[in-house]
Amino acid sequence: MALAAGPWRTAASRLRRDRIALAAGVLLALIVIACLLAPVYADHIAHTDPFSADPSATTVVDGQEVPVMQPAKVGLGVYPIGPTWDPGHYLLGADENGRDVAARLLYAGRNTLLISVAAAALASVVALVIGLVTGFFGGLIDTLLTRLLDVVWAFPVLLLAISLSAVLFNSKLDLGVITIESGSLLLPIVIIGAVYVPYIARPIRGEVLSLREKEFVEAGIAQGAGDLRLIVREILPNVITSMVVFFPLMVATAMLLESALSYLGIGVRAPDASWGTIIQDGTGLLRNRPLIAIVPGILIALSVMSLNVLGDGVRDALDPRARLRIRDASEAAR
Amino acid sequence: MIRFLVRRLIGTAAVLFAVSVLVFLIFFKTPGVDPARQMAGRNPNPETIAQIRKDFGLDKSLPEQYVTLMNRLVIKRDLISYSDRGRVLPRVVDAIPVTLSLVVGAAIIWVVFGIAMGLAAATSRGTPLDPVLMILGMIGISMPVFWLGNVVNLVTQERLHDSVFSWLPGLGYTPFLDSPSTWFLHLLFPWITLAISYIGLYGRVLRANLIEVENEDFVRTARAKGLTERRVLIRHSLRTSMISFVSLFGLDFGALAGGAALLAEQVFGLPGIGKLTYVSLTRFDLPVVMAIVLYGAFFVVFANLIVDLVYARLDPRIRPA
Amino acid sequence: MPKFRFRFALLAALGALIAGALTAGGALSHPAARAASHRGGTFTMLAKSAADTADPMVDYTLQYWQLNQATYDGLTAYSKTGPGLGAELVPDLAVAIPKPGGGGKTWTFEIRKGIRYSTGATLKPADVKQSFERIFKVKGPTAGSFYIVIKGADACLKKPATCDLSAGIKVKGQKVTFTLTRPDPEFLDKLALPHASILPPTTPDKDIATDVSKIGGTGAYYWASYNPTKSIVLKRNKYFKQWSKLAQPDGYPDQIVQKFGLEVSDEVTAVINGEADEVFAADTIPPDRLNEISTKYPKQLHVQQLTADWYWALNTNIPPFNNLKARQAVNFAFDRNAAVTNFGGPQLATPTCQVLPAGFPGYEQYCPYTKNPAQGGRGPWTGADFAKAKKLVDESGTKGAAVDVVPANDEVQKNMGQYMQTLLTKLGYKATLKPLEAGLQYPFVQNSKNKVEVGLSQWYQDYPAASDFLNVLTGCASFVPNSNASPNIAGFCDKQIDAKMQKALKLGITDQTAANKLWAQVDRDVTDQAPWVPMFNPKLTDFVSKRVGNYTFSKQYYFIVDQAWVQ
Repeated sequence: MALAAGPWRTAASRLRRDRIALAAGVLLALIVIACLLAPVYADHIAHTDPFSADPSATTVVDGQEVPVMQPAKVGLGVYPIGPTWDPGHYLLGADENGRDVAARLLYAGRNTLLISVAAAALASVVALVIGLVTGFFGGLIDTLLTRLLDVVWAFPVLLLAISLSAVLFNSKLDLGVITIESGSLLLPIVIIGAVYVPYIARPIRGEVLSLREKEFVEAGIAQGAGDLRLIVREILPNVITSMVVFFPLMVATAMLLESALSYLGIGVRAPDASWGTIIQDGTGLLRNRPLIAIVPGILIALSVMSLNVLGDGVRDALDPRARLRIRDASEAAR
Repeated sequence: MIRFLVRRLIGTAAVLFAVSVLVFLIFFKTPGVDPARQMAGRNPNPETIAQIRKDFGLDKSLPEQYVTLMNRLVIKRDLISYSDRGRVLPRVVDAIPVTLSLVVGAAIIWVVFGIAMGLAAATSRGTPLDPVLMILGMIGISMPVFWLGNVVNLVTQERLHDSVFSWLPGLGYTPFLDSPSTWFLHLLFPWITLAISYIGLYGRVLRANLIEVENEDFVRTARAKGLTERRVLIRHSLRTSMISFVSLFGLDFGALAGGAALLAEQVFGLPGIGKLTYVSLTRFDLPVVMAIVLYGAFFVVFANLIVDLVYARLDPRIRPA
Repeated sequence: MPKFRFRFALLAALGALIAGALTAGGALSHPAARAASHRGGTFTMLAKSAADTADPMVDYTLQYWQLNQATYDGLTAYSKTGPGLGAELVPDLAVAIPKPGGGGKTWTFEIRKGIRYSTGATLKPADVKQSFERIFKVKGPTAGSFYIVIKGADACLKKPATCDLSAGIKVKGQKVTFTLTRPDPEFLDKLALPHASILPPTTPDKDIATDVSKIGGTGAYYWASYNPTKSIVLKRNKYFKQWSKLAQPDGYPDQIVQKFGLEVSDEVTAVINGEADEVFAADTIPPDRLNEISTKYPKQLHVQQLTADWYWALNTNIPPFNNLKARQAVNFAFDRNAAVTNFGGPQLATPTCQVLPAGFPGYEQYCPYTKNPAQGGRGPWTGADFAKAKKLVDESGTKGAAVDVVPANDEVQKNMGQYMQTLLTKLGYKATLKPLEAGLQYPFVQNSKNKVEVGLSQWYQDYPAASDFLNVLTGCASFVPNSNASPNIAGFCDKQIDAKMQKALKLGITDQTAANKLWAQVDRDVTDQAPWVPMFNPKLTDFVSKRVGNYTFSKQYYFIVDQAWVQ
């Protein structure tokens, strides 16, 4: 990688001059930091346990003790307390279990970010290996793996992820090496990671194929360089550039898919939360407490947007003519 | 060409087979899944369950069950649902027009606005309009469709339903032949909601492509010949850029028609393929799921095939393996 | 599914009386002119999705029972009009309700003459035998539990295809005689259920599924079409002539339509806008809309108390809840108000501590698991006693045990699950929440193989008899190890209590009042053993359109839709 340091440094300085990308980066950093500080907010500011369901809880508003779940004054129904606009308690109101929505949003953000980054990383690594192996060696292994990818490719991504989640949500996933208990955050990570592998592996394979025919690789082969050496020294650095270019986009895509799964109730499992599960909770109260569903949606949109803008910036800085694009950048969201 | 087609068809069949086996196995590995028990009602006698199991062939080995299921699904076409015991095929057939209505309408909107946006942004480079359009497009791409749909519903069906949107019918679907105007009104907001993210994506893609071909020789030649900017744009740049636009469209359309519009259908209460999938999944209604999965996979494989054919026609060198 | 119990003799007498009254001219009917002006129109109800097969002998859902009561008849029926609505057993296709002979083992019914099916065929006494054989041939869900008492039925259960009930059902002229293997205090109830509908002899011997053209009935309506993704349409049976206003009254709407596919919130909107007439009552109205409709449209919202339980079953066979003190601790700690809030508030549910629902035969209020319990526990639940619960957990030595909490995956149950998980954690257990899809959850928690420590369930009566709760849900015989069909989810089996149940069952044949006293005792005994955490008895909210008149509610079939006025 020593050879590549030059271009990377150029790219970094180019990125620093890209104001829009920088702004997106700052926004994203703020969101990440806020989510990382979730326990601080919950313990020291809101004084609440966002995972403890207590529909009989009370709180003090204007010096008066009031129930968090408030029976309607007229007619039927019980509704959680609305926004108090006081960070000290129920800033954005409570959910149907009497829990502080603001505190839950921060904790939820951690899960959303963790899952999307981990899933994107998983998909990238697996796709990289598959792309390198199939593109470089070709032959039977290429045919087999490509056909296997075709099977996954044959499903609409969203449909595949939903089917897998709906079924696996109720059972555990036994991968031989590791067993993923239902309810573990690993489950959405593995599912989201897996369904995007073909979408990255295919273009990588194509890039490796074309790189293989380039003069410097042909020259290497002629000089009798080993396969591994060629892959690591000549091909990988080129492919890595492309991977870095679309990693932010991949995270954004994974984030949209994660929230879709959680919204359908087959992603993150209660009492844990992600922004998607909070939208789901809020949908049930959209008319009376619209903020519960609206705020996490805005957070998702902001995060996805900053990731996309950042991704654009990275691409412009690193590889202005990048041929590699994730075709379905946000199919998950549709 | 014919050899290529035949090979693709064999490949497609192999993919569909693999997909169906996969779904079948995942289904029966889920603990608690016991269709006979589900069908037997709330407090059945074990002997009754055993008989239902036998009637539906659920006591046979998995390969036998698979063959029976596929035989009834594809050849005899009399497969019935585990949940209400109605025939599976008619309900898939019923759902297709709903999904197609949604997807075709949305596609028209996103293609028209996507092209307009891409053109406007590309031709106004250097003015504030370009970044504004691109940011709007980015916002569209970044919003989760189910969330946007909920917000749209909140506004059109509730907050402003008694005033601005009083002309809007409730959620649901009316077949075109029953009442074209109600069909249209039911689908108006679903179309817009579904199209918004694609407008952003397609607009951005088109803009990038237009800028890319700007410096190509044929565009320069056209300019040199003295053609107007407008003519160069429409006849040369746009035409070339449309190739990737069209292939992108083919794949997206295939995926959506194959069931990927699930979230929009769910939020707007449209009884299409996506919604049927979701309902059947949550009821563990294997026959229906199997039928839709094959249908959806077929659509996607088919769309891939078409796109590949178009490519192969445009450029014989990249005839895919 | 509900009605309350009359003693036999009383029933028989009443039946005869009513039959007499009817032949005399139907004194209970509305003024003919008024009724006639409401006749006509289409009644449209909305349900989230289709429920089941259209075969009345196989379907076991309230959703279609509500329709089937208007399309089919049995020998008896739960009254659909008049003061005994939904509670009183009346003769339907039989002329009168007979007295049993042979020590309670034989029942002879005289079949009415001149009744015609919607197919045009005339009802014959021989159809009765054929219909009962069909219950076994189509493998009806209750064939083995309800109709096994008929002589020869056990052979039918084993070999349904060749079912022959000649030994148990004898047809002679207009008379049909049933011979049972043992006296059955619930036999007349079983005859009134849609599973025991009398069908034309041309009906195929297998589940008709969605093909409603193959079937017909004697009711005021018939199933004209059934498409599980779209709708059901019931139309008037043109061969129908009212023979008993109590058992099968003529209906008002010309058509009854059930449409599928909308989310409940959108169903509510449609009913508000007058595009439909009813939100199917088991589609729980989301809390988001409840307040709006209860304040804006109070006259269109009907709230009805149900005889049903929502409860958590504690697995009494595996740690930690094989320990009585641990089970009692959860009962003391459980805040019933939290569950009531989850369900929609105090107007929609009543807290409870015991198995029998309020107002049920054998019900005597009992709640030992409350703050400041009343004398002998004979009072209501007033509040949780967390300190006592903590102490019990410490004494039980079960602290730190791992516990799986398994509710269904819908919003309400998931919320209840989160409360339960929080509570168990506070009590010192390692509780994990594992919500399952509704279709899977019920069989899953029943199967002891799955080792569920805490499972959420509900029971809505199909019998207004104490045994339908106590025996079915906590009796030894109802616990079937390693089976998906084991309604005793807690796996509770106490030999002494079970013996008492058997005694009460036997006593019921001769003396229902004494039996109910005994059931009340059994109820207290079971509650003391705490196999459940009973939460509440739910109420039902029924939302109808502005134009709907003559709303009648039966605990057996809920809203009697054919009696609704839509004009």
